[in-house]
Amino acid sequence: MAEFLQQVVIGLASGSIYGLLALALVLIHRATGVINFAQGEMAMFSTYIAWQLVQWGFPYWLAFAATLLLSFAGGLALQRVVIRPVESAPVLTVVIVTLGLLLVFNGLATWLWSGEVRTFPPNRPFPTKTIEIGSVVINAQDIGIILVTFGLVAALWAFFKFTKAGLALRAAALYPDSSRLVGIRVGWMLGIGWGLAAALGAVSGMFTAAAFPPLEPTMMQAVLIYAFAAAVLGGIDSPGGAVLGGLALGVFLNLVGTYADDLQDAGFPIDLEGLRLPVAFVFILALLLVRPQGLFGRAAARRV
Amino acid sequence: MRPSNRVLLGLGLRALGVIAFVVAIAILPRFLSDFRASEFARVGIFFIALVGLNILTGYTGQISLGHGAFMAVGGYVSALLILGRPGLEASQLEAPDWLPVGDGMQDVWTIPIAALVAGVFGFFVGLPALRLRGLYLALVTFALAVSMPIILREPETLTGGTNGLNLFGTTEDRLTGAIDNSVHIPVLDKDLTFNDWTYYLAWTIGLIGLALAWLLLRGRPGRAFRAIRDSEVAATSSGVSLASYKTLAFAISAAYAGAAGALLTIVSTIVTPGSFPVFLSIQLLIGVVIAGLGSLVGLILGALFLYYLPVGIQELAEVGSLPDGLQDAAKSPGMPAVIYGVVLIVVLFLLPRGAAGFLSKVSFPLTKRL
Amino acid sequence: MRRTSILIGVLAAALSLALPAAGRETADPGVSGNSILIGGTTPLSGVASAYASVARGAEAYFKYVNARGGVNGRRIQYKYLDDGYNPSTTVQQTRQLVQQDRVFAIFNSLGTEHNLAIREYLNTVRVPQIFVASGARTFGTGFRKFPWTIGYQPSYYGEAIIYGKWIRANRKNARIAIIYQNDDYGKELIAGLRKGLGRMQNRIVATQGYEVTATDVQSQVARLKTSNANTFMVFGTPRYAIQSFIYANRLGWKPLMFVNSVSSASNIMEIASDAGNNPRVRGAISIQFLKDPTDSTQWRGDAGMKLYRSIMKRYLPRGNANDVYHVYAMASAHTFVEALRRAGRNPTRSGVMAQLAKLNSKNPFTIPGVTIRTGRVDRFPIEQVQLTRWTVNRRGDGRWVRFGPLQRTPG
Repeated sequence: MAEFLQQVVIGLASGSIYGLLALALVLIHRATGVINFAQGEMAMFSTYIAWQLVQWGFPYWLAFAATLLLSFAGGLALQRVVIRPVESAPVLTVVIVTLGLLLVFNGLATWLWSGEVRTFPPNRPFPTKTIEIGSVVINAQDIGIILVTFGLVAALWAFFKFTKAGLALRAAALYPDSSRLVGIRVGWMLGIGWGLAAALGAVSGMFTAAAFPPLEPTMMQAVLIYAFAAAVLGGIDSPGGAVLGGLALGVFLNLVGTYADDLQDAGFPIDLEGLRLPVAFVFILALLLVRPQGLFGRAAARRV
Repeated sequence: MRPSNRVLLGLGLRALGVIAFVVAIAILPRFLSDFRASEFARVGIFFIALVGLNILTGYTGQISLGHGAFMAVGGYVSALLILGRPGLEASQLEAPDWLPVGDGMQDVWTIPIAALVAGVFGFFVGLPALRLRGLYLALVTFALAVSMPIILREPETLTGGTNGLNLFGTTEDRLTGAIDNSVHIPVLDKDLTFNDWTYYLAWTIGLIGLALAWLLLRGRPGRAFRAIRDSEVAATSSGVSLASYKTLAFAISAAYAGAAGALLTIVSTIVTPGSFPVFLSIQLLIGVVIAGLGSLVGLILGALFLYYLPVGIQELAEVGSLPDGLQDAAKSPGMPAVIYGVVLIVVLFLLPRGAAGFLSKVSFPLTKRL
Repeated sequence: MRRTSILIGVLAAALSLALPAAGRETADPGVSGNSILIGGTTPLSGVASAYASVARGAEAYFKYVNARGGVNGRRIQYKYLDDGYNPSTTVQQTRQLVQQDRVFAIFNSLGTEHNLAIREYLNTVRVPQIFVASGARTFGTGFRKFPWTIGYQPSYYGEAIIYGKWIRANRKNARIAIIYQNDDYGKELIAGLRKGLGRMQNRIVATQGYEVTATDVQSQVARLKTSNANTFMVFGTPRYAIQSFIYANRLGWKPLMFVNSVSSASNIMEIASDAGNNPRVRGAISIQFLKDPTDSTQWRGDAGMKLYRSIMKRYLPRGNANDVYHVYAMASAHTFVEALRRAGRNPTRSGVMAQLAKLNSKNPFTIPGVTIRTGRVDRFPIEQVQLTRWTVNRRGDGRWVRFGPLQRTPG
């Protein structure tokens, strides 16, 4: 039982990291209807910027804040400069442009900072003290990350629900033409959507470097795969769903790995330990077949 | 000009174009070094996979981020059949009794079988597509691309784990390099170098595949595919069976990828899980978009783009006239990816609908004027 | 008709290559009057691009040698191509190097399955496959079947035998847990450990594999902790090794840790030490055969490391001089230059291979006492290593301190 709980706790910690990046994916999908495959690499690049600032002597939290601002500006600029020219092209073209960005950011980080492993300000943003409850060990840092993740979901929800800007963002994404008529600058709204996503991504990158050390140019690639799965699992347009999807995925992966042996002892013919990722995908597929719109997505009415 | 004449003229031009294309492919190796032929063989492999992916994504409107996985299935089927039980045993591997791997088969004949197996596999992957669309389908196919290398590695005694299967011993006489040894082609009673042989093999299959795709797409299935792409509801209400045509598109598309995977195995003489990374699936999608969705003309350009962009970036480092700094940058870790990404984005800025979109824009006024 | 035209083409190509080296009909491809062309593959893009240093460091060393007149009057041209860590691409790039660029030899190509993919081809066409950048055992043991192939570094297998032997002799109460990369590299290390442990094999109480697609290994470490092991072997690449150290600490587990040499560079240990907050790195054990570039106190006056730093500064200014892969690369390039020099004024492929089979020399980049030695039945150039322990001083700074005698890693 203790082992089960321990694995659940660890899984939640990993899952909140997936959920954070999934949030950024959801944000861009809500704003522009595409999955931004460069989201992970943008987050990684932001984290390197933070690392560089700290190297230059910035205190951690100042670097953190500066990185958020820079990432927001960078995301906005990307949308205006790189995405806007292909806005009217088929969706798949936009997706491929984001794949191009993935390559550019990954290559640029490798070129600028080398592929070598680095340490991102250790013991930040939260203390890594451990708390023992019975024989289950909980890390203070993981609790911090989970709390911030939920905080961000709540903030996003409130932003979209109650603020004028949030409303304008949603309107611009859903009804661009009518929004223009009522004076919303749709183009800029989409840009702000990208900026917000980039800033969220930066948070997820900096937390990833702390929770899954070290910092290196490839660190977000696996996270992106899980985040994508989490976002889809949650219903691609639902921030809360994305985070819950991430948590579920994190816990599930750990439990598959932990109980693979027992399962095999009980007569199951295949050793699933090495196959935890494919197994998780099979379960997601099964879930999607039951609910094609994801756990918390709304089934869209199909236009004829 | 009267409309009927214009149609005739169009047909004639098209026929001429096809003949010119086939002839060009047949005589190309005469103008290339032996090694270049092997490069074009790999272009041909991309071409075959792109024809297949275009049937699914371009014509039927179903996204697949997992076509590398179908190539992997074809590649491993081909390798297992070529080796057979004796070959596996020689590599200290073994196939379970129920698996019909045979006693070793000539490489060429494994290609249709690989296509068939991949097609059946694609049919089953297509089943979820009946319920899922857009990003949900993208995730499922992407998951396939991520999982396939792991799954293939796991039955180590059959697939050789991370080191994969090595075919070298079985085709040894073909591989001693371009120079001394050659491949005898019994039908033509001719000897070809290994590289030329792979070139002709890839492009023969490529042309057959292209012809089959053309026949399929201009017939009833093609109309059904396009109807599904344009509107599923409208397609259903005009009597198109979504279930059969969607899964059909998946199966056919996967079969092409399977053939391409088998060829990749034969050309590389090895197959490993690492030969089918996630990036391969992404590359194929890039190729289809660069080519232009729903067009067969642009695919050759898509295939050339996929093969020669990375090669060209490396050649940058060898160009004598470039300043040292730039040359060194081209072989610095990371820089090839940056250049690849930038070129890709710029190409899409210029051709948002791919090469085919550009060609139709150029050729439309031309035929109109006639 | 087709055949004759090929023949003519080949003849022409052969002639044009032979011309600059007029008067030496026996010259092998790639050798001209003033240069010798070698090639290899390395990942410059993709997940493994951190390993590119293994090619870049060698290139820097060759530039240094060339600036001082080259080898027997010939400049070494080293052309490395990006294979993106995809073995199928490795095959194609290697064919390009052999068939189109007509290199003298393949040198320092990186990766286990990548080198396995080209080994038979290169041996059939008799192109040397020199100093394979992989610790898989087969590149050292397979020389009877593949006489044109030779590895360089100690095998993973031999390395793990040494850990096993040390545990057998010094840690009688050991209960061993292992985390390993779920591929041939990880499994070879486990096999070596079992061999070294001998009758203590049953002390391996838990093993957990991880995939290279994993974001983290915290779940595996937590699982291993429940085995109550007091000895924790880390058989993984740097990312997962760092995590193993950090998670062991975060989960409150206090085993003695061993880390395989792939992941034991000082900069990696420093990250694992979590800015001095992770006691798990204290006393961790690994092996060493290269001088550690981050250890500035030990090698301050050392001629080899001075040379290393000056080459890095001059020929690879953008490279990170603390990256031990660069040291490995220069060691490998140094031995190659040595063999080439001994092959004489008119080197041939078989001549160089013959030299590689009777190496007996020192290397400025390996730890003192190591001799690069090969023989008739020994194709492991480096097979002397020393155990080393991560030692933290009172200020909290850690460094590797070697202990015990130099040991042979049995192939």
